[in-house]
This record gives sequence, structure tokens and C-alpha cells, in this order.
Amino acid sequence: MLPEAVELIALAVAALAFALVFAPSVIPRRSLAIQGGAGLVAGAAIALVPIFDVALLVLFALAAIDAAAAGAQRFAVRLRAPALAVAFLAVALIFARVEGPEVLGRFAAVGLVAGLAAAVGLLPYIHPFDGGDESPASPLVWMAFAGPLLGVSVVFRAESVLSVDSGQAFAAMLIGVGVLNMAWGAGGSWLTSSTDAAWRYSFMADWGLVLCGFGLTVVDGQRAALLALFGIIAGRLPLYLASRAAPAPKALPERPINLVIAGALAGSAPFVGFAARILLLRGATTLYWPLAFALALVMLAWLPGSLRLGRSLNVAGGRQAIAVTLVLAVNVAAGLYPLPLLTAAGL
Amino acid sequence: MIDGSAAFVAWLGAALIVLADGRRGLALGVGVGTAGLAVVAGLDAGLAVAAVLTLGGAMAALGRLRAGPGGWAVMPPGSTPRLILCVATALIALWIALGITSGESAALRFAVLSVIGLAGARILSSVDPDVQLTAVALLALAIGCAAGLGGAEVWPYVGAALVAAGAGWLPLSAPRAA
Repeated sequence: MLPEAVELIALAVAALAFALVFAPSVIPRRSLAIQGGAGLVAGAAIALVPIFDVALLVLFALAAIDAAAAGAQRFAVRLRAPALAVAFLAVALIFARVEGPEVLGRFAAVGLVAGLAAAVGLLPYIHPFDGGDESPASPLVWMAFAGPLLGVSVVFRAESVLSVDSGQAFAAMLIGVGVLNMAWGAGGSWLTSSTDAAWRYSFMADWGLVLCGFGLTVVDGQRAALLALFGIIAGRLPLYLASRAAPAPKALPERPINLVIAGALAGSAPFVGFAARILLLRGATTLYWPLAFALALVMLAWLPGSLRLGRSLNVAGGRQAIAVTLVLAVNVAAGLYPLPLLTAAGL
Repeated sequence: MIDGSAAFVAWLGAALIVLADGRRGLALGVGVGTAGLAVVAGLDAGLAVAAVLTLGGAMAALGRLRAGPGGWAVMPPGSTPRLILCVATALIALWIALGITSGESAALRFAVLSVIGLAGARILSSVDPDVQLTAVALLALAIGCAAGLGGAEVWPYVGAALVAAGAGWLPLSAPRAA
């Protein structure tokens, strides 16, 4: 049983409870509880079952049920990317298991990375997204809630099925896809005209951090990935849900709380995203310093998009203000003292 | 000889799902594909595995007969690209199973690769949920059988059968924005 997965399951439970208490009224509680609970159980099953093939089948079942649940998109559209992911992962497993030339192992690595990207909804397999989709079955919630368990499960199981040579190719591809998502997500969240799309791009950018961290294959990279996942589940997702309360007026005066939220989303000190970025840069410097330089440049691109997203939250007081304050406090605590999180995950 | 024929039958079932639009054609595709996969997997993993896969596939086929577009609708007008896809997938899967990879279970490799390729392509190309769920059922069975290449226990087969059976009976909600 992976300690990282156990920790992420606990985080997902906390995130679901938090959403049930603090999610805005436009998000129906009943469907949130049912679909969130189903997603949690399936995500836990994906992470905890000992056989990779069974985890794939659980993912397939979860994807079909999620697509069948009422969302803004049609079933046919919602099912495609997860089904593609499952097909990629299944073919990758076949290539990893059969006897043959060495290049088959590399194809298996390609399949695993492509399957992971398609399963979570990252470039180059972005899930179709409707900005008006408030339902818990939204692709954004999938990316932030089921995605982390899925990602950890695929990455750590991949290490057990790939050879050393293929494992190195797998790690390099994770870094490549991670940097691509970081750059595209950070740029997209700044330049897109829709605030809903900007939120989606910001999740992609955070996932880029996670993939880079997993790809670095040094302990600092794994730590960075775990903290970035924490930031997604316990930071960006609740803030995104809080932003759904009511659209911010066009001429909203910028208040200090919006700047603080922007800081948290951008991964500035003292929030948990800052610790993740520092660890990532340290790990990249250990392996290959030009990579760290490139990562630092891309990380700067987070700021404009985060300022924009920070402004999209109209924190008017009441329950929403309590929720935002709690989220910020948790992120500051994890940023200042991440050791318990890392120790619990065995890192 | 038996495993080779069964692998061909598995491909034929997947090809039927690609070529058919009606519920009877789709149900026949699941049934034929399941029979092929069950025999190929059963030769390696035993009778119990074959029975589990057959049960899952039969449930999926029954569920498809219950809902979906009426009739057979096998190879409706405009099916030439689908036919080419079926033949090309078979050739590529055969090349990988016999030419690229080595070892025993060549029939199993051919069967799972061709079924995964065809069922995956059908899910991506169709907009009809009933067609997609039929392909989901066969894809799940192929994933379960693929576990046999790694010498798996019975659980992947049971999981595959459950997913396949569930796909045939999954209720669908209309799209909406909350």
C-alpha cells in the first residue's frame, strides 16, 4: 500500500467534507455527496488494489459512471478521454509484459504517460470543458479530486512494470509533458478570455508541477509533487469552488484578500506552493541545472494568471469568507511546516 | 489451432461492433467477441476464467438487446472506412503479435491488441452512447484478458466481467448544467 496514496485519500476525504459544508448553494449537495463519495471510493480503490489491471478496470467503471451522471456535456463526449486513457494504459501494460525488443519497453513508457495525461485531462488530451458546468461531475473537479489518486497510482505502479531503461524514458517524458502543461496552463490562465477556462488552465499548470516532480526521480522531486498535489486538493480546488458562489462584478475593487488569494494560487511564500516550487528547483538543479532555469522561468508565468483568478473571487463575507480563510490558513501551515505531510508519505 | 481460431473470432466480434449500428448487430458483436476472448483466455487460465468472461459478455449482450437503435444495421452505407479500419487493425495486431513480440500466447496477444484497438476506435468515433457502452464492454473484457500475459490471478477477469456486465445496463442521464 502506497503511503502517498493513503495520505491523498485522507486529503480527498477532508476536501469532500469541506466542500459539503462550504460549497456555494449553486452546487447541489445531494449530487455532490453521491458523486463525490463514489469518486472517493473508486479513487481509493484505484490507489489501493494491488493489481494494476484491476485498477484500470475500476478507473474505466468510474469514468463510465461519471460520464453517465448528469453533466453539461454529452455522455459520448465525456467518455472519450478516459476511455482513450484506459486503452493507452492497457496497451502499455501489454508492451511492458511481452517478450520482444527493448524498444517495446519505451513504447510502454509512452503509453503510460499518454494514458496518465488522458486520464487526468492534461495536454495533449484535455477533457472537453463547459464553463457553465457547476455540477460535481465537471472535468475540473475530476482533475482535482480523482486525478491526484489516479496520478500517484499510475506513476508508482509504472515503476514496477518498466525496466530501468524504459523507466528513465518514462521519467523524461513526465518532465516533458509537465513542462508543456506548466507553460500552456500558466499562459492560458493569463490570456484566455473566459475566467472559467482560466481556472481550468491553472489546474493544468499545477499538474505540470506534479508531473515534473514525479519525473525528477530524486526525493526532492517526489516531495515537490506531493506538496503540489496537496496544493491542488486543499488549495486550488476549494478556492475554485468558492469562486462559483457568484460571478464577481466587472469593476470589483481589488481588496487585500484578493491579493492574498492570488499569492496562494501563484505559489508564493509562505503558501504550500512555494515549498513545492523550491523543492522542485532543488531537485532539478541536482539533476541538470538548465532544467531548473527553464522551470524557474515558467514558474514566473504563474503570476499574471493568478492575479486574475484572485480577482475572480468576490469574498463577500459569511460562510464563503470562513471557507477562504480556512483554505489560506491550511496552505500557509503546510507551506511553513510541510514535514508532517512528507513524513506521513514516507518521503 | 484452437487458440488461433478463437483469436480470429475475438477480432470478428470487435469488427462487428465497429461495423454495426443496430442493437442486434452490436449484441452479436459482443457475444462473438466474448466467445473468442473467453476461449483464448480459458486455454491459458482455465475453465473458471472462461466461464466468468462468458457470463460478463452475455450480460452485456443482453443489456444491449434491451436498448439502443433497432435492427441489425451491419455495414450501413458509408461503412467503407470502418471496414478498412477493421482490416488494418487486424494486420497491425498480427504483425505485433507474431513479428515484433515473441514467446507463447501469440493468439492472446493478437486478440487483446485487436479488440483494444477496435473497441477504443469505436468509442472515439461514435456519438451514440449505446454503441459506446457496447465497445466499453468488449474493451473491459480485453483488458481483463490482457492481464493473462502477466500471469495474473482471477481478479482481473472478474473485474472485467463486472464492468462489461454493468456497461450493458448503465442508465444514462440527459446532459444539463446545474
